[in-house]
Amino acid sequence: MRVGFILGEVVNGLRRNAGMVVSVVLVTMVSLVFLGMGLLAQRQVDTLKGYWYDRVQVSIFLCTPDTTDVASCAGGAVTEAQREQLASELDSLKPLVQEYWYESNDEAYQRFREQFRNSPVLDNIPQESIPESFRVQLSDPTKYEVVASAFEGAPGVESVEDQREVVDKLFTFLNAVSISAVALAAAMVVCAVLLISTTIRLTAWSRRRETNIMRLVGASAFTIHIPFIVETLLAVVVGAGLAIALLWAMVHYGITGFLTELLAGQGGMVGLIGPGDLWMVVPFLVGGAVLLAVVTSWLALIRHVRV
Amino acid sequence: MVGRPSPQVPAPSGKGSAPTMITFEHVTMRYAKGDPPALRDIDLEIGRGEFAFVVGASGSGKSTLMRLIILEREATQGRVIVAGHDLSTLPNRKIPVLRRKIGIVFQDFRLLAGKTVYQNVAYVLQVLGARRHTIKQLVPETLELVGLEDKAKRLPHELSGGEQQRVAIARAMVNKPPILLADEPTGNLDPQISEEIVAILDRINRTGTTVVMATHDTTIVNKFRKRVIQLRDGVVVRDEDRGEYDALEVEAVHTP
Repeated sequence: MRVGFILGEVVNGLRRNAGMVVSVVLVTMVSLVFLGMGLLAQRQVDTLKGYWYDRVQVSIFLCTPDTTDVASCAGGAVTEAQREQLASELDSLKPLVQEYWYESNDEAYQRFREQFRNSPVLDNIPQESIPESFRVQLSDPTKYEVVASAFEGAPGVESVEDQREVVDKLFTFLNAVSISAVALAAAMVVCAVLLISTTIRLTAWSRRRETNIMRLVGASAFTIHIPFIVETLLAVVVGAGLAIALLWAMVHYGITGFLTELLAGQGGMVGLIGPGDLWMVVPFLVGGAVLLAVVTSWLALIRHVRV
Repeated sequence: MVGRPSPQVPAPSGKGSAPTMITFEHVTMRYAKGDPPALRDIDLEIGRGEFAFVVGASGSGKSTLMRLIILEREATQGRVIVAGHDLSTLPNRKIPVLRRKIGIVFQDFRLLAGKTVYQNVAYVLQVLGARRHTIKQLVPETLELVGLEDKAKRLPHELSGGEQQRVAIARAMVNKPPILLADEPTGNLDPQISEEIVAILDRINRTGTTVVMATHDTTIVNKFRKRVIQLRDGVVVRDEDRGEYDALEVEAVHTP
């Protein structure tokens, strides 16, 4: 009986305040989409870190006939002896150097052609200007300096590049995305809080006769407040549902469907987040939304609905 | 037709042996600091089952007295005791318990416009979490008490003022509170209808409910001959059983 009655009150309230309820739904949706994007970007960073730190190598680019302006390459292209010398030095750096392999000029050129196959610069680059290199995998990727200092400026070495730096730039970018998404989410949450309390104020006003009668006949604070809280909760949960649907669509079509395929052609960059990561984030979104709704409406009720 | 008022029958008086239902002990009430008090040093006892008119001009403190009884406001000084609850120490969460013991009727009826007569009365029980079959039993019973059993499905705007007030009385009484407060219940009604309304209150009083009615309707007061508590500028100036109420005294308030 009581549940039926409260639900009846809730339906009434929702109908009477449809416009405000829709805006609460939408504001909740937008704020949760931003929050979700922030969290997903963070998960993407974590996923990529794990993936790339396993693979990212230090590249030791060797001299080409074109690189005579670099001091260590003054003698022209790298010689056979220099190459062997470098290989033995790499061997001596084990176990920090976990593994290394040699990429010949032919292989490097093939890879380069593959990567830039759609680019007009391709035809202007002669094969001999693509450097051959040693690709080194470190057992501890943070100890890059050790390798760099050992090989920087060695005869036949044009430059040493820590490719983690390249990936780190990507991480910095993703972190920025994550932080701005969370910041936007925070702004939207403030919006949501204000909107919810305004909505409750308006609902309280439109329902003041009922509330007044409830008070006078001795309804408990719980009975008076619960329809407001249930209404807000419903609106927020619907908003959260929409947000999750939207995020799912983004992940499913945007990342799993589109981006993975796009990147698959570019040398197979994997380690992207998928719907599984979304489900990990969902409890936080829903829980946060529910908490927000309950706390906000409770505070608004204390202010606007006297018992 | 509602019961004819019978001035010959004395109202049961709370003074003396009957236990008191409402007690005011040196109650002073100020709405804001620095304001002149709306009530000053009121000492009053209203017994169980008593019927009391609280009379006085506008601003004499009648409504304030009512507000203190339902703890809509708290007394600035002194103690108000209602149905055994000392209101000065009643914790907030116990206020609903107090209010369930009090039915209240207003001058402007305060019915819910979108609900039928039946729904308006049932609303109270729903809000208080009564069971469905209790509601089905109590609501028609209460509508019968006020003579509206035939109009259960009407909406408030389809009723006359007197009928609306009867719905309000039914709503106030449906959970059988021991106290019924009526704040100017006849203020919007013409004399004959007013008399019918007070006759209903009288009948409710006879079933043992303590009735306190604030009014400045001299005809009603003189007709029903109940206890009269007269306020002027927040002070009780007269308190007598089966009292009369002289309209001239009301005028006197306005001409110092």
